[in-house]
Amino acid sequence: MARALEGIRVIDLTVWFQGPVSAQYLADFGAEVIKVERPQGGDQARGVRSIKSLEIGDWNQYFLVNNRNKKSLVIDLRKPEGQQIMYRLVEKADVFLSNLTPAMLDGWNLSWERLREINPRLVYATNTGYGRFGGASRPAFDMTVQALTGIMAQLGEPGQPPIYLGMGSGDAYGGIMSAFAIVTALYQRNRAGHGQCIDASLYGAQLFLAAPQLQSFLAGNSERALQHSRREAANPLWNLYPTRGKWVYVCEPNEDARFRLLCEALGDGALIEDPRFASAAGRAVNNVELIAEFDALAAALDHEALLARCAAHDIVAAPINTLADVVRDPQAWDNDYLLKTWCEEVQREVEVRGLPVTLSKTPGEVNTLGLQLGQDTELLMMDLLEYSWEEIEAFKAAGAIP
Amino acid sequence: MSGALDDIVVLDVTRGFAPSMTAAFLGDFGARVIRLEPLGGASQRGGVDEDGARSGTWNHEADLIHRNKQSLALDAATVRGRAVLDDLLARCDVVLTDWPLAELAALGLDYAAACARRPDIVVARLSGFGPKGKDCELPAIDELAAARTGMMPIVQQPGEPPVYTGAGAMHAAVLLAFGVVTALLHRQHSGEGQQVDTSLFAGNMYGASLDLQAFLAIGSGDRLLNPISRLDVSNPMSGSLYASADGRWVTLTMPDTDRWWPDLAEITGLDAGDPRFDTHEKRCDLNRLELIHAFEAAFARQNAGHWRALFAARGMSADIIERFDYPASDPVARANRYVVELDHPSFGRVKSLGFPIYMSESPARLASLAPCVGQHTLDVLHGLLGYPVETIHELGACGVVA
Repeated sequence: MARALEGIRVIDLTVWFQGPVSAQYLADFGAEVIKVERPQGGDQARGVRSIKSLEIGDWNQYFLVNNRNKKSLVIDLRKPEGQQIMYRLVEKADVFLSNLTPAMLDGWNLSWERLREINPRLVYATNTGYGRFGGASRPAFDMTVQALTGIMAQLGEPGQPPIYLGMGSGDAYGGIMSAFAIVTALYQRNRAGHGQCIDASLYGAQLFLAAPQLQSFLAGNSERALQHSRREAANPLWNLYPTRGKWVYVCEPNEDARFRLLCEALGDGALIEDPRFASAAGRAVNNVELIAEFDALAAALDHEALLARCAAHDIVAAPINTLADVVRDPQAWDNDYLLKTWCEEVQREVEVRGLPVTLSKTPGEVNTLGLQLGQDTELLMMDLLEYSWEEIEAFKAAGAIP
Repeated sequence: MSGALDDIVVLDVTRGFAPSMTAAFLGDFGARVIRLEPLGGASQRGGVDEDGARSGTWNHEADLIHRNKQSLALDAATVRGRAVLDDLLARCDVVLTDWPLAELAALGLDYAAACARRPDIVVARLSGFGPKGKDCELPAIDELAAARTGMMPIVQQPGEPPVYTGAGAMHAAVLLAFGVVTALLHRQHSGEGQQVDTSLFAGNMYGASLDLQAFLAIGSGDRLLNPISRLDVSNPMSGSLYASADGRWVTLTMPDTDRWWPDLAEITGLDAGDPRFDTHEKRCDLNRLELIHAFEAAFARQNAGHWRALFAARGMSADIIERFDYPASDPVARANRYVVELDHPSFGRVKSLGFPIYMSESPARLASLAPCVGQHTLDVLHGLLGYPVETIHELGACGVVA
């Protein structure tokens, strides 16, 4: 089958998560992604041994999945000889992607100004922490950046600590934002004939994670910055309810007919007759009281019973599932959102997060997981970069490659 | 400077915030985005913006998700309306939608029908749960997708209700944009169009990438299935939250504790040589809870501003959890155009979310705010489709367009 990004060569000088997952998207759709790593241990993510204090087991799923479908090239970019190798690679590349700091890239003579001289068709992409302008050069890990966006502070019950969206949540978003930017710049490059410098920062992306709320705040709705209790949800029919088992999300508009059905599903006909709740406006004004009534009714049931009753009354509702449920969810497997692939490191099939975007004629693929550090160095030096064996030996002697 | 996508015509047939934002992202980079709005218009826009329009306040949501778009008001259910839509499809490169398949088919906007009018068209759809599987036609409601993904029950503190963040929908918005442009890149060299799908389910799953992948690989673990108390965090110096004296929260992300322990100990008044905490293993394993409590007491002694200044002075990856007022007035957000100020014809100087992506040669533009319903009907029918003005007047008189 054809690959959408066949023929696109990407230099992936990234570490940890945002940059690697950005390049992962390109690799999944057929780009030739060459991950360039330092000789000393490579990407720091190769060293991950535990997640949330849980041993990761016999394969490093963090590194190997983010870096699937890629080649591995080791260069010491601190050495001028290493930079020479990089320049030759740049000549033959379509995209240069890095989430190292611009200062570090400048220090290795890998600035946009330098690389565009070598290859004017190059798309030069960075994933900075806070954007290329404005002078912010603080360290930029996912959570410290998420902290500044305001998204955390408006989540959770009032008085509770702010809510972090989950490990790498902002990096993941910055990664897809970066992939979108790169393909757009490639499209433009193919038309205009020259590349450009692009940036998808962790901060810029994460400001859009709560776009509806932040936009409302910018328009003057200052209460949107604050935490709101589910006990005070404006529409009690669109809310989370506790049961004896899992919580259940009920998603219905505040309409009389839907209210009647929900009351019937919950087995309380008397509520329908309650004058406080007889109209949409009444239910909105008396939302706290109505939610308390629903809470009591739902809490008497287990989630299976509540969901069965909702289904019988045509009420849209879902249980709040756990990760243990989603990894068994046929819908996730049927759509290749989860899939199985061979893991060289442990010589067996493993389960990995799959392909969230479905292209009907050029679907993504997962062919290999992340490779051993520098596995393709010699091959790429000879076949792609066309260095002679003597030159390769000289580079080794200079310490530019291992 | 020209737009990266300025040779692309997008037909925007969307209802939800996220897919409408996707179309706006394409418009930001130069695509001509034509929003199909049924006569009357209101039912397609829904949500907060309609309330805003009614109450005479700024429709801030529409001016974000419908910026850079044209509006065509068309009754496509009529025979003549359908003919106009067919002519329009023949001139479109992309159809972007979140409608149920049956509704699309009824108007001839499904892939087969669109393909008949324009063989190389890209039809991109945001679904609820993906193009395959038994739940492929469940409604595209992000709360249902989030409930099914496994993160809602683990991001809050123990004992607190699950949390819906809304981030999954924003993730899906960018996945869809990436899918569209990747399909356009493929079409650029092959001449072949195709169908693109992503779902709210996929967006939520990719937002949860690391937790999800860890659970897939490890297959068990209470710490991936239940909330972790902030006083039981895996690394006291990373992913942790501490209250400062003024009640504002401090967050630390310094996974390499060997590197940062001496600095952090010094600024918090702890003894860097304390034998309970003098190795990474002691800090993160053996005496982890003791260290958390020591930090908890230390951070409570000073206000957040004090801590921020010390973090900055030492280049530590640590900061304060801010509210939306921070990005709203942050010069860095302004310098990078993540937040912009614009002159609104009715409401004067207003702040809005801007553009998450920087491109040096084809930057995102703000050519126009949200159009009025039908504002560009003449422009599209005459300018793009070449209809004589008399024909357009006649279509208007019959109520086919407005």
